[in-house]
Amino acid sequence: MGRSRSVVVALVSIVLGGAVLALAGFALASTTPHQTALSCVSAGSGSCDLHFSVFPDALAGEHGSGGGPHPDWVSYSNDNLVVPANTVVHVTIDQYDSGGSLNNSYLGNVIGTVGGTATVDGKTVTHVDPNNVGHTFTLRGIPGNGSPILVSVPLPADNNSGTPVTLGDGSYAKPVVITFTFKTGSKGVYEWNCEYPCGGSRQGQFGEAMSTFGYMSGTLTVR
Amino acid sequence: MSQPENKKSLVSFFWTWGILTVVGVVISLWAPGRFMPRSMSNNMHLSILTIQIFSVAAAPIAAGIYAAALHNIRHDRWRGGGVPPAAEPIRGNTAFVSTWLIVSSVLTVFLLVWGLGALAVDNASTGKNPLVVDVTGQQWLWTFHYAGTNVSTTQLVLPEGREVEFQITSKDVTHGFWIAQMAVQVDANDGVSTEIHTTPDKLGVFDIRCTQFCGLNHASMVTQGRVVSSQDFQKWLTSQPATI
Repeated sequence: MGRSRSVVVALVSIVLGGAVLALAGFALASTTPHQTALSCVSAGSGSCDLHFSVFPDALAGEHGSGGGPHPDWVSYSNDNLVVPANTVVHVTIDQYDSGGSLNNSYLGNVIGTVGGTATVDGKTVTHVDPNNVGHTFTLRGIPGNGSPILVSVPLPADNNSGTPVTLGDGSYAKPVVITFTFKTGSKGVYEWNCEYPCGGSRQGQFGEAMSTFGYMSGTLTVR
Repeated sequence: MSQPENKKSLVSFFWTWGILTVVGVVISLWAPGRFMPRSMSNNMHLSILTIQIFSVAAAPIAAGIYAAALHNIRHDRWRGGGVPPAAEPIRGNTAFVSTWLIVSSVLTVFLLVWGLGALAVDNASTGKNPLVVDVTGQQWLWTFHYAGTNVSTTQLVLPEGREVEFQITSKDVTHGFWIAQMAVQVDANDGVSTEIHTTPDKLGVFDIRCTQFCGLNHASMVTQGRVVSSQDFQKWLTSQPATI
């Protein structure tokens, strides 16, 4: 009798322990910040337009009034991008931040876009000066399944001055405008992030905004 | 326990030991080749052989421990009520202790010599025109530069049958460069270039992973490479765009 009771207690403990772990997992997953989706706007016949920005702080964009919990962290305006499958996507990024040198000059190259090019303020480029980069938009492949990088475009530093414009709770100088085009493939959720070291002093300048979802990284959902 | 019972018990123990040893040796010879990644280089062949040799050497020792445990559970379990009486004190057995010490020492020295030898052979260069590849780890990707060219890429392509010299470094935190099918695994440290050699000898796809937890997208530092024929490698290399 005693032995049966011990077995039952052990089984119940295992089941309850598993349930607690599962609940903790669901709770953590549900608290992962997801911003409002930015969907690609149809531009007719198999193409669409996607327009977003990157700022030197979190005062503009999707972090809410006052910039949310980390108003001084660099941030993309949107972290939740949605595009259709098998579509030509025209991307426009307004880059408002200053910059410096990339850790690896390889990422100064335009990779994976249609024609292997991008435009910077209207000028077509295949690469930019790796010592004058504000951020990068680097879209990753599914790990272990083909190329690790699908698209990577360096965003030159914004060295403009003049009358600032107000966006959200921040004000910024005229941005550098970068455009590029890429083709989406099959459905799936892909990750993107910045590869310029802009995350403060921790973890090789890849801490803070670089190590928290919703600032310098996000997802691109292909539907 | 009476004398005949004791003898019978020991015979039972040695039979169990022998059977478990045979099982252990068979598993030691079979499992590494079955469960480790497909071998695609001389380093991986040596690693699998080393694991087999070490496992075979360890098999009789592990079997002896399991046999002794089983023997004790079967023959020496207290079946009475209450607290069992104290066991008879174990007395010294010079022959047994000497044999145990000598066998253990010989085995340990053998494993030490084999291990050091394998380590030396594993990273030795043949000096025959190696292909030098600069490997750079950074948060959160690997890039590969082919020395003497303008080619940098995120996909590693290697020629079959030619020694490769990897020069491995990091741009930020510590990463771990691991080619699973080639037994190449070394840390990538900022400001330091670590050299390691291998010779791919099988065509096909291999996996590259980061083995040091390095931040948010550590799990994305997974990529694949290919071993191709020498001719295909030259074609691929010349077709690559120059990068900055």
